[in-house]
Amino acid sequence: MSLLAEVLAPSFLLHHAVYGSLAVGFVCPLVGVYIILRRMVFWGVALPQVSAAGIAAALMLQGLGYAWLSGGEAGERHLAIVGAVLFTGAAILALAWLERRGGSVGDGRLGALYAAAGAATILCVAWNAAGETEMMGLLKGEIVSISESDFHAMINAFAAIAAGLFLFQKELLLVSFDRDMAVTLGRSVVVWDALLYLMVGLTVSLGVMTVGPLVIFGLLVLPPMAALPWARSMGALSVLASLAGGLSALGGFLLSYSYDLPLGPVIVGAATAAWAASAALRALVDLRNGGRAAP
Amino acid sequence: MKPPLLRFRHASVGYGSSPVLTGVTLDVVEGNFVGVLGHNGSGKTTLLKTILGLIPNLKGEFAARGKAGGAPRFGYVPQKERLDPLYPLTGRDVAAMGTYRRLELFRRLRGLAREDHIAECLADCGAAALADKRFSDLSGGQKQRVLIARALAAEPEVLALDEPLSGIDVTTQRALIKLLKHLKEERGLTVLMVSHRVHVEKDLFTHVVWCDEGKAHSGETGEMLKGRLGEMFRGEM
Ligand SMILES: Nc1ncnc2c1ncn2[C@@H]1O[C@H](COP(=O)(O)OP(=O)(O)O)[C@@H](O)[C@H]1O
Ligand SMILES: [Mg+2]
Repeated sequence: MSLLAEVLAPSFLLHHAVYGSLAVGFVCPLVGVYIILRRMVFWGVALPQVSAAGIAAALMLQGLGYAWLSGGEAGERHLAIVGAVLFTGAAILALAWLERRGGSVGDGRLGALYAAAGAATILCVAWNAAGETEMMGLLKGEIVSISESDFHAMINAFAAIAAGLFLFQKELLLVSFDRDMAVTLGRSVVVWDALLYLMVGLTVSLGVMTVGPLVIFGLLVLPPMAALPWARSMGALSVLASLAGGLSALGGFLLSYSYDLPLGPVIVGAATAAWAASAALRALVDLRNGGRAAP
Repeated sequence: MKPPLLRFRHASVGYGSSPVLTGVTLDVVEGNFVGVLGHNGSGKTTLLKTILGLIPNLKGEFAARGKAGGAPRFGYVPQKERLDPLYPLTGRDVAAMGTYRRLELFRRLRGLAREDHIAECLADCGAAALADKRFSDLSGGQKQRVLIARALAAEPEVLALDEPLSGIDVTTQRALIKLLKHLKEERGLTVLMVSHRVHVEKDLFTHVVWCDEGKAHSGETGEMLKGRLGEMFRGEM
């Protein structure tokens, strides 16, 4: 496969886009597994939009001439990351705090947040003529241009998140599956929830920088959904979901590069196809096994 | 007399500013088998949650002291309906959670396998054959066995079960009661069992806590049945 060799070569012009998409493709579903199992899908919708709003706000500030904020050309990319992380972090803190205080309108709050973040993104772009191309690129799934060292830091962050999820899988499973049990075993539910939220927040904000909010939402949800009917353990669920996401990203990139299509929708399309194929195959297998419904 | 494992004095239990039970005065001594009984919504689960440290007691005094001085080691068997069937977990995976105490990381790094311990707990509960089955596919009685095995895997002093017999056929209920009796004797456990029914488990409990209209009445089973409550129980059947 010369095409594969071509795009994976370090000298490839778009190597940030390739490796960024692959990192996101493999790591996002690992976090997404918990989002699906904890039935937090609305978080997965709202948070990428909030990250996008953070990036748009950062680009707007810079476009309005607050160059002192960014400290020049290289720094402006730092600013986009800072915007994404700050907005996402603030949103998660506020949501977690409200959730602990109780109340039954959690989904409503997330819906409201999504709407507000979407509007804020568009307004920030409107007030900032210079940022429009960059932001449109982001919404199409193009990577925000960042320096080589920032790119490496980002890939390392994804690796750290994957390692954290692996190392603490027991704790994260325990507090997700049975919080009360976790407390009786002396585990701090707050600490482990905070760690999970931190990893969700980092994955989303770094991921949105890389491939835009649409792809992040898609990769948080679709690969775990594709893996769920086949997984017989948490480990299998994570591995299958990660593979489905990574392969969707790679396939999406190859398709988008070969046919000159926008990257984001093609990755999401590939992940959707994986999910549809998985669901259809599961239904077929169950039919043959005597009509037992998929779990 | 042994000092009590659990001790309530004029305590109020409940959520935030709304107490569910008030004036709770109660001792649970090592080796007791306590039935926490009452109608739906009478506060049985709330009392259990307070004992387990899941919610703070609102007023009065509550102390839990185990062998090691601090809170006793609890083995918790929650209402099985509360567990989400979406998780791809086998019976063994669920039972293994009993071993996920703090410091487990260090044990894990030392490579100390807990497989044998988990298999033994499952076998003791008649659930060895369920180890590789998907937990959410199990019947109510089978789930209950796995959840009791999970509680045992935590090496508890106090086994706390919330409605372990609800939604389970009578034959299986009898088998579970036999299992609980056996485990209590074998392992010298103290057992707290919440149930909204009375007659089946009468000969099981050494003590009864009857939750009703915001109060918790407690005593030895024989005494409780002789008095006013006995008439009420008989009236109920
Ligand atoms: N998390 C909660 N917050 C506030 N009130 C609650 C909560 N859980 C239960 N309650 C209320 O406390 C009362 C007792 O509930 P519970 O202890 O679950 O009853 P039981 O277990 O005896 O059926 C009920 O009136 C219920 O509505
Ligand atoms: Mg209850």
